[in-house]
Amino acid sequence: MKIKVNEVELDVTPGTSVIDAVFAAGHDVPYFCSQEYMSPIGACRMCLAKIGAPRKDRATNDWILDEETGEPKIFWFPNPMATCTTQVMEGMVVDTISKDVKKAQNAMVEFTLVNHPLDCPTCDKGGACELQDRAYEYGSGESRFVFDKRHQEKHHALSELITLDRERCIHCKRCVRYFEEVPGDEVLDFIERGGHTYIGTLEDGLPSPFTGNITDICPVGALLDTTSRFRGRNWEYHHTDTTSLDDPSGAALRIDTRTGRIERIKAGLNDDVNKTWIDDGTRFGHEYADAEDRITRPMVRRDGTLVETTWADAAREIAERIAGMDGTRIGIALRGDATLEEGVAAKALADHLGSGRLDTAPRPAASVLPDGAAATLRDVATSDALFVVGDPTEEAGIVDLRIKDALKGVEPAPLFPHGPAIADLRLKERMPRKREILTICAPYRTDLMKHAGQAHVPPATSMVDLLHALAERASATVDGGTPSGAWDDALGMTAAEADALITRMRSSTRGVMIWSAFVSNDPRADEAARTFAKSVGAKTLILGPMANTAGLERISVLPSHDRYDYASMFTPETKALFLASLDPAVDPKVADRLRELDLLVVHAAFPTATSALADVVLPAVTGYEKDGTTLNVEGRLLPVRAAPVEAGTATDFTGVVKQLGEAFGTRLEGRSVKSARRVLRKLLDVDAAELPTTGQPLPPVRGKASGARAVREYARATGDALIVPSMVRVEHLDRNPHLRAERGDAALRAHPATLHAHGLTSGDVVTLPIGGIPRQLRVTASEGVPEGLWLAPTLPEQPVGLYDANLAAMVRERSATAEVA
Amino acid sequence: MIELNTIRPYFEDKPDVLDEILGRYPEYGRRSAVMPLLWEVQRHERYVSEARIVEIAEIVGLTATEVRGVMSFYSTYHGEPVGKYHLQVCSTLSCKLAGSDEMCDHLEDSLGLVPGETDTEGLFSLQKVECLGSCTTAPVLQVNDTYYERVTRDELDALLDALRRGEMPTPKRAREGDNAQLGAAPLAGEAFEAGTAADAALADAEAAEPENPEGGAA
Repeated sequence: MKIKVNEVELDVTPGTSVIDAVFAAGHDVPYFCSQEYMSPIGACRMCLAKIGAPRKDRATNDWILDEETGEPKIFWFPNPMATCTTQVMEGMVVDTISKDVKKAQNAMVEFTLVNHPLDCPTCDKGGACELQDRAYEYGSGESRFVFDKRHQEKHHALSELITLDRERCIHCKRCVRYFEEVPGDEVLDFIERGGHTYIGTLEDGLPSPFTGNITDICPVGALLDTTSRFRGRNWEYHHTDTTSLDDPSGAALRIDTRTGRIERIKAGLNDDVNKTWIDDGTRFGHEYADAEDRITRPMVRRDGTLVETTWADAAREIAERIAGMDGTRIGIALRGDATLEEGVAAKALADHLGSGRLDTAPRPAASVLPDGAAATLRDVATSDALFVVGDPTEEAGIVDLRIKDALKGVEPAPLFPHGPAIADLRLKERMPRKREILTICAPYRTDLMKHAGQAHVPPATSMVDLLHALAERASATVDGGTPSGAWDDALGMTAAEADALITRMRSSTRGVMIWSAFVSNDPRADEAARTFAKSVGAKTLILGPMANTAGLERISVLPSHDRYDYASMFTPETKALFLASLDPAVDPKVADRLRELDLLVVHAAFPTATSALADVVLPAVTGYEKDGTTLNVEGRLLPVRAAPVEAGTATDFTGVVKQLGEAFGTRLEGRSVKSARRVLRKLLDVDAAELPTTGQPLPPVRGKASGARAVREYARATGDALIVPSMVRVEHLDRNPHLRAERGDAALRAHPATLHAHGLTSGDVVTLPIGGIPRQLRVTASEGVPEGLWLAPTLPEQPVGLYDANLAAMVRERSATAEVA
Repeated sequence: MIELNTIRPYFEDKPDVLDEILGRYPEYGRRSAVMPLLWEVQRHERYVSEARIVEIAEIVGLTATEVRGVMSFYSTYHGEPVGKYHLQVCSTLSCKLAGSDEMCDHLEDSLGLVPGETDTEGLFSLQKVECLGSCTTAPVLQVNDTYYERVTRDELDALLDALRRGEMPTPKRAREGDNAQLGAAPLAGEAFEAGTAADAALADAEAAEPENPEGGAA
């Protein structure tokens, strides 16, 4: 469809909004209320332009011609139009630069500024503010408003994480629309009307796991990230565009640092992955990186105490102590959010030592790689039948948002040269959602279930059997056969519901099955899930427990034999251990075992129970300070880039291997990110140094991918405590004060009746041994938990799954009532 | 939140009222019932408390925030109990041009209240409201559900006196007849003169503007 914007002729797709056509033509028009990936509503009236179009004669269906020129005559709309809510028409002419249009835009800036405090010098948004920029570009530079301005509340804490300045608000409605359209939690709204209108909530705080995004999209300084308020000016920040290592979704992040400190994290743009959204755990969970007690220098144990030393000394100490040791007695374990480069380094170290005792933790019992190609997040967003087993909101928040995209049923728009569509006219406020396409199955009520057409809460102990029964039924009916054998409704789903699910998945063309650690930690459940997906023809998306669990499995950072896995490292067979960012000593039994080792080397960013037992402690960087590569849940390779954070001599695991290699007198592969990438190029046929910020899909391995084998310890189908995934990383909670204030302590959730039976009340703090690990947790009543089951958030050392809670050994640390008094 | 546990839900013993209201809308449009439900509560309780907002939100499947958003948009609904006589001054354009700001000033002076307040006896509440839809008879004062139209200073004083005695005078209906006649009809007493309030505000603002002669100190 041909249109003309200020003498620039261009061809646009029908349905495009005029504002996108203007930007596509290389021209500019100011706007405040439109926002990528959200409905255009024409609220701010800032994007006014003069618009005209030719008309057809109704009788002849010919264009009405201009008598002078003989060209189709342009009929102008009588008033300037909001370009964000106007659709292009054949032959349309748009004028954004004439005097009339400038006058209209100028007047709108003046209106918008009537009640704006103009406190830019003390505003955190100053220097990166849409209103400030637009007022400079399109305003008159002078105020004619001599009256008193409206006064409203200036430091209103919407939650512990978000501060609202009501005077600065220009009522663009982006935040209100965001909550309804993106996470579907309608927790903000306009209160009052006219000049008195303000943004407010009646909920307790902002009960949504995706609140922080409103601070990114606010066009003024009204909504601010409390963790970064008054910490710096926008032009002082160093921006690092990187990928989140917080969860396996691979969301794009922009880390803003100043003088060696992370001041805030904003969402980056990756159209295929997170669009421009991130979850609150990812956004606000960064304060720990700047905690006081960071380990910044290597330490060696001398006469029973750890003393600081140099890297060379520490490495020499390690080399001397393992010289002559049987290599097979040495274990190396990385946490599952290590980069691929660190994985290469760990492998090189294991090879050099002659050890097959190499593993990542937490690693589920079954493979997290799909058979063939994984469903992409775009496949999820365009799916017409979704079957979710688990709790993606907590496991990989972006997957939750992409599932909600699918419920809207709007295909992702192609990108313009200027980026995502500013005004996608297919998106509307309060769109109907196709809930019926979403089926969720989890052993407790998940947040996402309120958006699902079908939600099933089977007993935690029958999840495996349910998946098996589903797989059998689906296989039996592949060629229109009838299901054989009886169906047990006690599994948590009736036969009719199972058949409906199978039919819906099978009859869809874009079915996707998503499962998570609840499935992967049991090889039988994993097999059943794969069989089910295959027999109904669904693509699969497997959520790993950690950001790069899939990537590390893909490059085979795995034990050489089953019996050399992570669990084996805490048996008497092992004499020396290298543990990177892991803290297995939280389990007292494991701690006893670690004390008996000949050598314990701990690579950690913070003092832990394990580092306290170590012979050598090496300073580690956090996920924000690494250069490297990660593989996300959909099999996309993404670059991880280091933000400049002050952390002394801390390095990632490639740095450890470099120092050790020097002490061993050899050059190991993976002794730097660069050298590790040479290995990756051979393994994956990809130059990791050249990856764009948005990453690139990695072709799947042919056939059955899984090189991983069962970790015996984790495969359990009984127990009364369920360790569940958590968006907020509990191990960092103590060092994330703002996030902790908002989301609370790590919770022990149980049904009110269960609590009553054990004499507990919400708010009590208890220490409860779960699976042998004493967990300090705050008791929280939740109707969504089946009776008799205890829910606690996962730790890297305690993967998702069923455990035994030792209720007899439970200690009440603080009682809720005592605290009030 | 504590209220929820102690206050009986309003619609608990009125299933028929609830069914009648919800029955006006199709199931997918259940949220439309928010307005009549708010009205039903207010008609009986004189205001809508937060506990009622939460209750209505649960009935129609919205969040309490959204119900509050809808409710606060309309000055008809009150979040706080109002006095026996709720004086509502239309403050939209036609009434403003006909002197409603001055009428409101006069009420503020007479009652010692500012808009949004209720007096200590619970007799009068004063509120500026948006368009009452009676532009031809501006300025309009609404007392509870009754309109007093083309109000003059003298009429207003008489009205307040009557209300203090506990009488509701029969409203003068200025709406009958065509507009031309209305404009020509004599007013009963001294009219509120529009613009005086705005002029005074402008004069204040100008007086407050510091002199800044060229080259002078900032």
